[in-house]
Amino acid sequence: MERRNLLAGGGAAGFLFAAATGPASAQTPGLSTLDRIQRDKKVRITAEVDSPPFGIIGSDGQPDGSEIATARQLAKDLGAELEFVQVSATQRIPALLAGRADIAVSSLSITTDRAKTVAFCAPHGALSIVICGPKKTAIAGPADMAGKRIALTRATLEEATVPKAAPKGTELVFFDDIGPTIQALLSGQVDAAGMSAFAAKSVADRNPDAGIEVKFTVTTAYYGAAVRQADESLRHWIDTWVFVNTHNGVLAAIYEKYTGVKLPPLPTI
Amino acid sequence: MGYVFQFGVVWEHLPELLAGALLTLRLSVGAFVLGLLLAVLLTYARGYGSRAVRGPVVAYIEFMRNTPLLVQLFVLYFSLPAIGVRLGANQAALLGLALNFAAYGAEILRGGMQAVPVGQIEAANALGLRRWRVFRHVVLMPALRVAYPALASQFVLMMLGSSVVSAISATDLTAVTNTLQSTTFRGFEFYFVATGIYLAMALAARAGLDVAYRWLFPPLLRLRSA
Amino acid sequence: MSRGFGWPELQFVLHGLLWTLGLSAVALTAGGVGGMIIALARVSRLRVLRIVAGGYIGLFQGTPVLMQLFLAFFGLAVLTGVQMDAWPAVTLAFTLYAGAFLGEIWRGAIQAVPPEQWEAARALGLRRPATLLRVVLPQAVRLAIPPTVGFLVQLIKSTAVASIIGFVEVTRAGQLMVNVTFRPMLVYPLVALLYFAVCWPVSLLSGRLERRLDARGSGSPRR
Repeated sequence: MERRNLLAGGGAAGFLFAAATGPASAQTPGLSTLDRIQRDKKVRITAEVDSPPFGIIGSDGQPDGSEIATARQLAKDLGAELEFVQVSATQRIPALLAGRADIAVSSLSITTDRAKTVAFCAPHGALSIVICGPKKTAIAGPADMAGKRIALTRATLEEATVPKAAPKGTELVFFDDIGPTIQALLSGQVDAAGMSAFAAKSVADRNPDAGIEVKFTVTTAYYGAAVRQADESLRHWIDTWVFVNTHNGVLAAIYEKYTGVKLPPLPTI
Repeated sequence: MGYVFQFGVVWEHLPELLAGALLTLRLSVGAFVLGLLLAVLLTYARGYGSRAVRGPVVAYIEFMRNTPLLVQLFVLYFSLPAIGVRLGANQAALLGLALNFAAYGAEILRGGMQAVPVGQIEAANALGLRRWRVFRHVVLMPALRVAYPALASQFVLMMLGSSVVSAISATDLTAVTNTLQSTTFRGFEFYFVATGIYLAMALAARAGLDVAYRWLFPPLLRLRSA
Repeated sequence: MSRGFGWPELQFVLHGLLWTLGLSAVALTAGGVGGMIIALARVSRLRVLRIVAGGYIGLFQGTPVLMQLFLAFFGLAVLTGVQMDAWPAVTLAFTLYAGAFLGEIWRGAIQAVPPEQWEAARALGLRRPATLLRVVLPQAVRLAIPPTVGFLVQLIKSTAVASIIGFVEVTRAGQLMVNVTFRPMLVYPLVALLYFAVCWPVSLLSGRLERRLDARGSGSPRR
């Protein structure tokens, strides 16, 4: 490649920058997302497939897990064909914002920070974030993390909470997906990792040799579906859907099937 | 969707982005130096080694050049601990980049060596110089001179390709960008600026390597390279 | 509860390999069309065309393909309001990427055709488009084939980057299977072998074509 090309590339970048900072995108007028879903009979929902027990790839090669089952039920009740948009943990919200998905159903914990960007529906599950690690790692509380290497996944509740609890001298390493975080833990690349208690349990169950145990709980949270902020009517519909399926026990059944734990009482948003 | 651009938040986090860019630069330069040394050894082994040495060397070069860097990094970082080799993310990234660059460097140097006239080597041999000295002075240096432009291009390619080291939690420019986008939700703005930083680094590297060429190989002696 | 790495898991990885190959094939084809336009613009007599095409090449060769992918994936929708699914967005990004590299390779090939050929054709009364089409391009194509085949290897390998944004090609498929089987020592080397099995023959072919071209006495084109 010639240097001239690179220089001209700089010019092209400048042009793109000008285009990007100019008037923002035109909106598709008229139809709300809920209207469009009903008209096209098609709904696109995020699927995070390396996040046990919420979403994994089943032995038939298809997505499986509690959030996957929730998304399937949601699409069925919408009367729409479901299209999964496979995302990594970091891309759950960007996929929604970029319009690649209509709804994010990927164990998104409800936080005020996230709510500045997306609109949350009523919660349909609860989780706690724990620090887990092999037996030989001596951690009893947050203070013991000093000097240890702790793996976290970007764009998750653990990323938002564990650094605040970590004392000075804690070495935090970040991955884009829960999968690599778990691999780093199992391969001994890190001393411990932050993840949901369910994920920790499923890692421990599936790898009895590794001796993974929960060290302490960092925080607890509720998670729910999220939509773009403009999609008010869709959010109302999902709220209603959560209400109905909480009462008829469908959500509790899904939750219990995959997590092995009873669904705690859910507050409303 | 009515996305409103907010580049202000990017400037607030500029120091972090620059720290990431610095690591990208350090990894690339480190891998270049290590990789080039290894490439010279590989080239020597390939040219002068016995058959038992040449086979594995060629296999190594071919394997590294025909598999993605990302997968090589996964093997180094996630697979090797299973046999007791444990590297930190940044170390694994440096090693992965260097091992990868070495294979390309060896291939480029071989091309450069073919430009050295056989008569020149025979003359040096006739003078009774040792094999390594012949290799170093008569073969390697002229080959490096010829191969320099290709090596420089490969360096820029590696620097840009190093963006995948974020996947094994190394904290390069891409990793910093990912972290910032996940905490601020201004993904587009951060990716845009990070792309600009990469472009600027590629430009600067090009310019720097051109200057280094003129300094290392003074024009008086420079061979014509195609 | 633990799952071994058996036939279903292997099948999943092989299925991912199909996506890798499909993505590479589409990017090569569509990028080939784009690359041809870029190459012609680069040797055009219009200065503005040369600059625009040069800028395009500089931009795509001067930035990481991962960043291009992020921008195509999330930037385009934001910029234009066009909502793109994963497959078209990833395809678009790799098409643009391939177009830049192929454009530069082919420009080199066109310019490697000796200027005397142009002059001779003009002396025979051929117009510029006819010269290009009937005299220069046939020779340039011969020069361009080995480096084009060589680039195909780079393209196939670069599609691994799509795994980082969650596109399930062979690298991502391998990663997902590591997550359910926890056998990184087995799965990642297997994925590497699969790439090697695909790329190595292509590399060999490229090398052979190059040697055959050299043997015929014409210099290889500038890259």
